[in-house]
Amino acid sequence: MNTTLIIVIAVILVLSLILVGIYNGLIRRRNEVDNAFGGIDAQLKKRYDLIPNLVSSVKEYARHEREILTKVTELRASAIDPNLSMNEKVSLDNKISEAIRGIMVAVENYPDLKASENFINLQRSLNEVESQISAARRTFNAVVTEYNNGIQIFPNSLLANRMGMEQKEVFVIPEPERENIDIAKLF
Amino acid sequence: MDGSKTIRELYDSGLSQELRALESKRKEILVRHAVSTFFILAGILLFIVSNGRAIFVAFGLLSIALFIISTVLAGKKTNAYKKDFKSNVVKKVVELIDPGWNYEPGSSIGTLEYAQSGLFPKKWDRFRGDDLIRGTIDKTDFRLSELHTEYRTDSVDGNQHSREQWSTIFKGMFGHAEFNKAISGRTFVLPDVAEKLFGKWGQKLQRNDSRGQLVKLENTAFEKYFVVYSDDQIEARYILTPKMMEAMVDIRNQLKKKIYFSFIGSRVYIAISFSKDLFEPRILKAGVNFADMEQIYLHLNIISVIVREMNLNTRIWTKE
Repeated sequence: MNTTLIIVIAVILVLSLILVGIYNGLIRRRNEVDNAFGGIDAQLKKRYDLIPNLVSSVKEYARHEREILTKVTELRASAIDPNLSMNEKVSLDNKISEAIRGIMVAVENYPDLKASENFINLQRSLNEVESQISAARRTFNAVVTEYNNGIQIFPNSLLANRMGMEQKEVFVIPEPERENIDIAKLF
Repeated sequence: MDGSKTIRELYDSGLSQELRALESKRKEILVRHAVSTFFILAGILLFIVSNGRAIFVAFGLLSIALFIISTVLAGKKTNAYKKDFKSNVVKKVVELIDPGWNYEPGSSIGTLEYAQSGLFPKKWDRFRGDDLIRGTIDKTDFRLSELHTEYRTDSVDGNQHSREQWSTIFKGMFGHAEFNKAISGRTFVLPDVAEKLFGKWGQKLQRNDSRGQLVKLENTAFEKYFVVYSDDQIEARYILTPKMMEAMVDIRNQLKKKIYFSFIGSRVYIAISFSKDLFEPRILKAGVNFADMEQIYLHLNIISVIVREMNLNTRIWTKE
């Protein structure tokens, strides 16, 4: 066999190995993003499950807060629609966070409610879920950054373009969530 | 609370007297050592000048024997002195921080606790420790002691003599406290060696570890000091909130030592490297001095700093 042919075959082989490597790397990153979004989704669902409890226990004591309770119930109803896009989910989720914070502020005026064991447990569960959501979001942001870096650097970018991989947005973490929950404000 | 002031008060009100009382014992030890040195020098001198004369050899041997006896006595005195120092001085400093804490000079963190932390996977051949402190800070219980673990390597030198060598795995303060969030995985926060030495390439080296996946976090100061491995990326961030990372950086900056953390089960394990022994009296230096007491106080108080900085007493999540 002639040497040129061997060299050509070797070069093709090496190139295809590199290509496979890049391809697999890109797929891994894309899957990680999906997986991380799944992580957020799971926590959001947990929060949706808590909302009816929250609404019913607040309603019992706080008759004047009907408006905000109705709002959070409506938001929940639209959030559990399975056909929502990622962006819609994110925006609804931000609104729900805001509404729940509103309820927590309103609760300040109802000492009996604040002291009830049921509500305290609920509040703990909400805190738990909020912390988990925030952790899941940060995980998502970390893998999205990794993904964006991955599809932008050369030569990955060539392949990523062909595969139709586009830059993804990271979550903007709302300002109040960057701080730890202030226990003094809660109880 | 201004810690240094309170320890100053304790020092002025009684600790310095306690130290003064111990000072005579320390001086006795020094005298003992001086006597030992005299006997060994005398012994050597007698052998050198003996020229085979029996009387010189006999006195030489006697000197050596006296040296041995004197050294053993000095050792005994030193141990007694250390014991008194710990029970009369260190114990008082512990009580100053919190009278409810328990101080056991002879005990240490056990092998099981050490192994459970997963912080130092290397198998130890020698496990030593002392100065166990246990207690609770508000709602958080803890155990902490000095610890020194080593492994042995046997080698054969040119003359076919086998030589054993001891290398340190960990030396310093080791402890654990209750963690306030419910966790199911294992997360490790270790001093970052690879990235410091090799920069970006270091990160590639860190990617794989027996302790889990590398977790990259967004706090750059934190990333400079620590590397994080976990079997659950989300749980790692659930533990290492932005505030927690800041706290760990603070702790690291305050202590300026290598610090290891692991979060496993219901506990956070903490290991802080120290090259010297803590809570031990010094024989050669005058014992009555405030600076040494302040050091002991600060070292004993590390656990309070950690619990406070890491907000371990905050119980707003589902874990009681």
